[in-house]
Amino acid sequence: MTNDAPAPSRAARWRRPTLLLALALVVGWAFAVLTAPEDSMQGVIQKILYVHVPCAFAAYAGFGLTALGGALYLWRGDERYDRLGRAAAEAGVLFCTLVIVTGPIWAKGTWGRWWSWDPRLTVTLLLWFIYLAYLLIRGFTEGSERGARFAAVYGIAGLAAVPLNYFAIELFGGRAIHPENLQRGSLGEGMGLPFALGVLAGLAVFAHLVVRRVEIEELRSRAQDDEAEAAPERRLEGGAPWRT
Amino acid sequence: MNVVLAVLWKDLVSEWRSRDRVVSMLLFSLLVVVVLHFSLPPDAGTTLRAGAAGLLWVAYVFAAVLGMNRSFALELENEALSGLALAPADRGHVFLGKAAASFVLLLAVQAATAFAFALAFDVALLPVALRFAGIAALGGLGLAAVGTLFAAVAVRTRQREVMLPLLLLPVLVPLLLGAVRGTAALLEGASIGPAVRLLLVTDAIYLIVSFVLFDFVLDE
Repeated sequence: MTNDAPAPSRAARWRRPTLLLALALVVGWAFAVLTAPEDSMQGVIQKILYVHVPCAFAAYAGFGLTALGGALYLWRGDERYDRLGRAAAEAGVLFCTLVIVTGPIWAKGTWGRWWSWDPRLTVTLLLWFIYLAYLLIRGFTEGSERGARFAAVYGIAGLAAVPLNYFAIELFGGRAIHPENLQRGSLGEGMGLPFALGVLAGLAVFAHLVVRRVEIEELRSRAQDDEAEAAPERRLEGGAPWRT
Repeated sequence: MNVVLAVLWKDLVSEWRSRDRVVSMLLFSLLVVVVLHFSLPPDAGTTLRAGAAGLLWVAYVFAAVLGMNRSFALELENEALSGLALAPADRGHVFLGKAAASFVLLLAVQAATAFAFALAFDVALLPVALRFAGIAALGGLGLAAVGTLFAAVAVRTRQREVMLPLLLLPVLVPLLLGAVRGTAALLEGASIGPAVRLLLVTDAIYLIVSFVLFDFVLDE
């Protein structure tokens, strides 16, 4: 072992830029939401839009990135992609939880009930289950290489199930009551800016969380390498590694 | 192709000699039918008709999960799974053989359970038996495909038996929707076209994805 200062992890370079970007956007977003006009039909509860939809964007970005990281990991075998997939899944689950929590609050205020089996809602719920199972695989698999491989396989299969789920539920499931927000001009006057800032802020916060999470994984794998280098005989002594 | 048949034959022969998978799957799904019967109001009668298809598929899914778990738990004995992984054969073919064996066992269990279910809930399955068999087979095929892929993963985790349903159920929703709506339409005399199309699409996607990804779930 040497006393050289360890090189900063690769992800650490992105820590400060993403943090500053996220902070700036969140402050701007908060200001824009406070000054945004109240919806003439729904009243103040409509402002939950500026939290709900950006979180959904971040959640979907996380799940897409998880599958992408998994596919690249299986293809190239580089641990960096695995760390990216894992970080994106954890951040994605966080944002998805926020979507599932904020949705019913809004729904109770406007649709009159907490939950409906609307296709988009149901698919988001299933995504949430799929990515929680993804994290469970990682927790329950011995050996990091195997866990990474299994999780990658499940992440890809999980993403493949999404369009199928949507198609099936739309065909047979409940009525769609989510509005088609993607059309231009569906937002009222003065609502576009806080919405756009919200989406950008959500993605920036998401990016920052992913960077921090990747950094932790990089440090952990480096610490494991150092430990194995410093005391190779420990591994051969047998017994549970956590007792050494 | 020989590999597919060899793995299928191996699984069926070892199952024939012990018969533990089919027997436990069958008993389990019959018990689910009994439990469902007691969990519903006694005079459910005609109102139940609409929900009967869903109940039947709940029993099928539970039995399938049980059987898939066994399918790979057996391979862990004497490191047989490593042997399969090291065999000089395309792992996709190993997958097809394992999935085909699970599919055959599932079909047998499905048939027997449907018979018991029709008796217990007074559902007229006999007049539509052939078309029902088609829907059950399409549903069973998709179940066997993703079930085999995820069972190979679940068996190597610390929570084996618990893991499989957690992995499987959220992904199974399109398949179950198709199977349940198809069965319900059959019982009501409605058109089963959309359900069958959905099942065909789902089966095709599940088979392809599982076939490709199975390469990565065997190790050593």
